[in-house]
Amino acid sequence: MTHRHEDDAHDHDHDHAHPHAEISEGRPGYYDIMETAVRELLIDKKLIGADEIRRQIEVLDSRMPALGARVVARAWTDPAFRARLLADGRAACEELGISFYDDTSLIAVENTDKVHNLIVCTLCSCYPRPVLGLPPDWYKARPYRARAVVEPRAVLAEFGTIIPDEVEVRVHDSTAMVRYLVLPKRPAGTGHFSEEELAALVTRDTMIGVVPATVDVAGAAP
Amino acid sequence: MTETEKLVNRLPNDIGGLPADPIQRVDHELEPWEKRCHALADVLDFHKIINTEEKRCGVEALGAEMVGKLSYYERWIVAFANILFRKGILTPTELALKMKEVESRSNED
Amino acid sequence: MDGTSKSAGLPGSVVFALGEKPIFKPGDRVRVSTRSPVGHYRVPTYLRGKSGSVERVIEPAAVDNEEEGYGRNAGSKRHYYRVAFRMSEIWPGYAGSERDGLHIEVFETWLERGER
Repeated sequence: MTHRHEDDAHDHDHDHAHPHAEISEGRPGYYDIMETAVRELLIDKKLIGADEIRRQIEVLDSRMPALGARVVARAWTDPAFRARLLADGRAACEELGISFYDDTSLIAVENTDKVHNLIVCTLCSCYPRPVLGLPPDWYKARPYRARAVVEPRAVLAEFGTIIPDEVEVRVHDSTAMVRYLVLPKRPAGTGHFSEEELAALVTRDTMIGVVPATVDVAGAAP
Repeated sequence: MTETEKLVNRLPNDIGGLPADPIQRVDHELEPWEKRCHALADVLDFHKIINTEEKRCGVEALGAEMVGKLSYYERWIVAFANILFRKGILTPTELALKMKEVESRSNED
Repeated sequence: MDGTSKSAGLPGSVVFALGEKPIFKPGDRVRVSTRSPVGHYRVPTYLRGKSGSVERVIEPAAVDNEEEGYGRNAGSKRHYYRVAFRMSEIWPGYAGSERDGLHIEVFETWLERGER
């Protein structure tokens, strides 16, 4: 690896990708209890409503990569929509009924024969949640966040994605109120695909930019 | 910069470019409490009781050891508790007693 | 930018408040400040002191998220910029194409005017 080590003052903290609240005989774990206690106290004090939490869980459950896939498939089949998406990602998603409940804006970045885009958040876990749902654990964990900005080609290779030297790799480190969505390249040989069939080819990972969209979706992450 | 100055100057979440292990494509279905914790974070931000940036700041303030050892949503809920104490919205005693009550409730089941 | 606008049909010229208009424009060379704030910051250490160019101004202006981190939900609105850096500028000995780049949003107070 080609890291610089000069600032490595920290523990090699391996950001845990799994919850380790202990589940014994169905009893809630320590942090589960803490969450319930904090939430109930805030509801008792009328600072938040129980209905708001219930509703927000429904909001979160309704956001999934299939939404982003619809956006991508539309962009692949409708050049005017593609242009609007690249000009203002949020407005284009809103056209399809996707709201931005977290008040972030969205920049869609397009993969082409000359450019490959990759999204990361090195400081936390910024992610286009309104369009893709919650990020996978690996996106929030140390290896991806630490390495994507310094050796993106090696990181991509670990996902099985080899980018030719003549293609520019563009890494987007998401740190403020803008979120990023990769518009992957439309796979060859899909000229006869319907918009719905195209959407089925677009996985979460293609929209993070770690893998290309392919006709063989079985080879991509769920 | 001395070792302790580095600890102060570089926040535990600021890891871009640091050495790290190979990527493991891990993921898990959120536990119900984790999803509730995420919803709680969003609602706290909607009301600006704890905005998203305060949450990030609160996680950083846990320090490198806790950031390294706690899981993602464990960090969030502990950060929320600390921020709510600091803002005078909750007290540590109040939370401790409520946690006891929640725990005893689940023992009755 | 001279902070004024001379539009036809308006008497005199309109003076903009400090910070109201973006200081930088797309194409400008900028350098990220080398300062080291403690407590909370949103410019990663790896970018401090690095030079890049402004790709676009992010509208609308927004609250400085380093202040937001302490509960200041209003005030101190300034512009964010999407800034493009060459990987080889950030990482000496970068293994990859010379064209490879990093794009990131940086708040105006972190940017200094760079060399032409």
